[in-house]
This record gives sequence, structure tokens and C-alpha cells, in this order.
Amino acid sequence: MKKVCLILLLISTQVNSIEGSEEITSQERELYQQIIQEVRCLVCQNQSVAESNADLAKDLRTEIMEQVKQGSSEEDIKSYLLLRYGDFVLYDPSFKKSTYILWLSPVLIILLILGWLRKIGVIGK
Amino acid sequence: MKRILPIIIFVGLFVFLAKSLYQPQTNIPSPLIGKPMPTFSLSELNSDTSLTDNDILGAISLINVWATWCVGCEQEHSFLVELAANQTIDIPIIGINWKDRDDLALRWLSQRGDPYIVVLSDPIGKTAIDFGVYGAPETFLIDEQGVIHYKHIGPLDSEIFANNIMPIIQDLRR
Repeated sequence: MKKVCLILLLISTQVNSIEGSEEITSQERELYQQIIQEVRCLVCQNQSVAESNADLAKDLRTEIMEQVKQGSSEEDIKSYLLLRYGDFVLYDPSFKKSTYILWLSPVLIILLILGWLRKIGVIGK
Repeated sequence: MKRILPIIIFVGLFVFLAKSLYQPQTNIPSPLIGKPMPTFSLSELNSDTSLTDNDILGAISLINVWATWCVGCEQEHSFLVELAANQTIDIPIIGINWKDRDDLALRWLSQRGDPYIVVLSDPIGKTAIDFGVYGAPETFLIDEQGVIHYKHIGPLDSEIFANNIMPIIQDLRR
């Protein structure tokens, strides 16, 4: 069991390695870590770029690190990715015309359910 | 009705979710459609000559992102060779060799035929990122000014070409 845990630990630290992480400030490191966790790896879509070992994810990490080093802001880097890969690349897509349904459907469904519960008399009239 | 409604909702939701589960999203819409292709400067395969995006303008063309390590590229290659030889369709294909080695790429082309008018090499994958590439092969249709009109992800074949790409080419040529 101990061995298994150790192996898992080794794997997890390896995944979190930072591409080209020499000479960056802790602020830059934080920004980098935050962004790569919010960017979807498009090759293996249920992993973030931070988690994935796919080649493309590595390339994107390198690119994001470079831009962080150059002093780009979070918005700059996200819009850089959006322009190339579209809304799908961010786990937290922005609120705009094409994503209204995505953002508002949960509210709509809750309202529908509440309305229905009222109608059948489960909650007070 | 009151009793059936939840069942209808359940079945509806179930069908929707099951369908989404078995239809992996492979064709993510590209935000680049309708926009000029990204700028780049890449060296030609096995040469020191660099070409930029401006150098490949002037004709309606296909840009095909491929690599020798890519299984789908192997699948589509014979179709590309056939397409390049087709003089009625007459469309130049520009290759971008993605994260590959020049020697392997050259061997691949000499063994399987070379459908490209020019092959640019992108060993670090920076230009591929600019094109929003995430899985080779990917094929872009550009017009004379370099505006991207269509993007296909995955191996190209005669059916996809005839149904999705040829109509746009005909429109552009009109």
C-alpha cells in the first residue's frame, strides 16, 4: 500500500512540473498555475492543460509560461487562447450571446421545477 | 398527466445525455473561420528558405497540417495525392509538417507520394497553436486573400471533400 501511495505521489508531482520555470516570481508562478488549471486540453477533453501530458498541453503550457514571463495579464492570455481555440478551451466560458443558454439554463430549469412543484401542491400556493 | 410528466422529462434528459456521451465532441467550431489566417514565418522542409503567410497567398488553397507520427495522416494521404493530381479540381495543397523531423517527413513523402506544392516545417508547434490545431490531420480552406473559409479536423476523404469543401470552392470561384 505504501508503495502504491508513493508511486501515486511521484506521478502527481511529475504532472505538476512547470515548463521553463527558472527565474520567475512567485506572482508569475501563481498566475501561470491558475491559468493552466482553467484551460481545457483539447486532445483529452476532460483534463485541464495543467493535468494533461499530451504534447499539445505541454506546448500550451510553454506558451502560457512565456506570455506570463513577458508580463501578459490573465485576460490577455485567455483572449489569445479564445481567438485560436474558441470558447471550448476555457472551463469557465464568458457570458455572451452564444453562451446565454449555457449560463441561464440552470436558472430556467430551477424556475420550471419550482413552478411545477407549486402546481402539484408540494410547496405552498 | 401529472404522473407521466416526470417520466417524460426523465426519458428526455436520459436520451439527451446518453446521446452526448456517445458523440464525443471532435469537431469543435473554430473561431478562425471567416478570419485571415494567422501570420507566420516557417522554413521550408529540409531547406533554409523561410516563407511567410504572405508568400502563399494568391490562390484558393488547402493548408494541411500533418506529421509522420499521426495515424490519421497516413489514412488520408492517398486521398491527398489523388486530389493534388486532379486537374479539374485544381487546388494547391500547402503542407505544414507539425512537430516532426525533416528526415522522417522527407522519407514519408518519397515513399507515399508528395501532394504538396510546398511543405513548411513547424517543429516547435507555435504556428499550429496560432491555427488552433489540436489534432492532426487538420485541413484549412483559404481564399486568394488568405481568409479561412473552412476547417476540417481528422482525415480527409473524397466524400467529406465533395460534400463540405468543394461547394465552398465553387462558391469562391464564382
